[in-house]
Amino acid sequence: MRDFLLAHALVGILLACFSVNSAPAQYAAARTPDGDPDLNGIWQALGSAHWDLEDHAARPGPAEVLGALGAIPAGLSVVEGGAIPYQPWAAEQRAKNLANWVKLDPAVKCFMPGIPRATYMPFPFQIVQRSNKILFAYEFASTSRVVRLDRPGTEALAPSWMGYGLGRWEGETLVVDVTAQVADTWFDSSGNFHSDELRVEERYTPIGPNLLRYEATVEDPKVFTRPWKLSIPLYRRVEPDARILEFKCVPFAEGAMYGHLRREAAPAEDTQPGSGEGN
Amino acid sequence: MANRSVSVTKLVTAAVAVLVVSLAAAPTVAAEDAPPTTSWGAPDLQGTWDFRSITPFERPKEFGDKEFLTAEEVAAWEEKTRKARAARAERTPVQGQGDVDGGYNAFWLDRGEQMTGTMRTSLVVDPPDGRIPALTAEAKRRSDARYARWGAVPAGPEDRNPLERCIVGFNSGPPMNPGAYNNFAEIFQTPTYVAILNEMINDHRIIPLDGRGHGPESIRMWKGDSVGRWEGNTLVVTTKHFTDHTNFRGSGPGMVLEERFTRTSPDALLYEYTITDPESFERPWSVAVEMKRSDDPLLEYACHEGNRAMTLMLSGARLREREGESADDWLASWYGGAKAANAAQERLEEETSDPEP
Repeated sequence: MRDFLLAHALVGILLACFSVNSAPAQYAAARTPDGDPDLNGIWQALGSAHWDLEDHAARPGPAEVLGALGAIPAGLSVVEGGAIPYQPWAAEQRAKNLANWVKLDPAVKCFMPGIPRATYMPFPFQIVQRSNKILFAYEFASTSRVVRLDRPGTEALAPSWMGYGLGRWEGETLVVDVTAQVADTWFDSSGNFHSDELRVEERYTPIGPNLLRYEATVEDPKVFTRPWKLSIPLYRRVEPDARILEFKCVPFAEGAMYGHLRREAAPAEDTQPGSGEGN
Repeated sequence: MANRSVSVTKLVTAAVAVLVVSLAAAPTVAAEDAPPTTSWGAPDLQGTWDFRSITPFERPKEFGDKEFLTAEEVAAWEEKTRKARAARAERTPVQGQGDVDGGYNAFWLDRGEQMTGTMRTSLVVDPPDGRIPALTAEAKRRSDARYARWGAVPAGPEDRNPLERCIVGFNSGPPMNPGAYNNFAEIFQTPTYVAILNEMINDHRIIPLDGRGHGPESIRMWKGDSVGRWEGNTLVVTTKHFTDHTNFRGSGPGMVLEERFTRTSPDALLYEYTITDPESFERPWSVAVEMKRSDDPLLEYACHEGNRAMTLMLSGARLREREGESADDWLASWYGGAKAANAAQERLEEETSDPEP
């Protein structure tokens, strides 16, 4: 699988050189039976944006026992302009988050990653497209969300982890406005965060039969000085037997969350890592 | 589980939702009752389906050999259920813990007020007595071991059942079954896939229709490995390769589940399934539920994210141990071990739906 992804990455990088950073020559996607651009398929991001959206050198991971495999690979920023424009207080908060990320990162706990993070977690997701609704089914945590194309102007009935997604087509591009996300999700494993005033405009643009350009414009007047944008290519998983498998990660997270409450565990302390407290 | 609150807003906001929906959705012209087809000509199962039902899972003794009820008998059962619920709402909490241990009150429950449209005396339609076949000796041993574990004070989170751990939902299956709440599924179709989204724990199942076989047997999944095909207007989904921990009414990892989805009218979807698991049940058995089309939106049910109960149960158990007290008397579902845990489990799955004869 990794070989496939790497091979595909080379093709993707070549394509991306022409498409992602320059004015895109409009690629016309195949059409669904209902006549919409066909985004159906299993998609996955490559790279290390899920570790850190901004420029980052390789660094050791938190679990020494994993050695080189547990280290965090380097990556170039996927944020337009390089850095996320935090307000001063928020830059301090981000630094605190980073210093305590193993304890605080909601994905460590197998929580739903929210948008945009779910898109570039190192797991595939599948788009199942109807004319009026699109299901995004993510392998990580078996998370789901539905984007509605038939309810413009409506608002969420309640806040949620994966947000309230309203979609529309702009030419070949699926544009999704995501609102009403809870404040508890992060953007990556480096403490990049937001508040409950987060608004995300996602754009999924087919730029080849097996390639989407994913852009997310992030607005949060409580946390950032201005809206900012990230851009990541998404690759189709082209193996003929590709499928979303099950990554129900609760059992993998329980040790980190509740291990201090096991019978044989050391006496509980307030500062246990990943104690299940919110951040 | 009592504080996973987002989906409860369904109850609170249902009226709002109905208003929104009625404004936004163009009224469908019900000129004919023929089941609709998709733009590519397949039977169209898409939409939100409501599988709430107060039909008992197994046939109550009072119905004897009767397989179907009359309209009057259905009405009487529904009335009896309403009364039983009202009485339950007035009950005195057991040990003062009525609100924390399987003690949902009416606010939390959303199992509907109607029997399923089949007018049957039970959801189990085969064997003809409407009862789940006997467990094999092996399945009984497995079941006793499970309940003994769940009935004991937990040494860690792994000792609680998969429902409390939010790994699977108690009604989302597969197979899906009416449960205490979140009895909604949404179906999406493309020419090559069907996807089923369950409100319960916000989980999806993606079913290929492209003729591929099941994946490797070594890849076991909590929800199994599903593939589908069309038989006329019926979607047939076969699921196997469940985990050792997957448990549906005593099933084991060898369970083969065949589900059949047939849209019988614009507003009804007949959902039938058959369980074949000779290691666990003495014979195959089948269930039928009629789902109703709904205009309500599914809401996100953040089960694990809101699972404060796990922290509280474990920290409570450790506290009592440190104090040198037996922890067996502080949650009724733990008290009495396997038998009570079994009863608690059944309460969870069938909460209040079945008035006791």
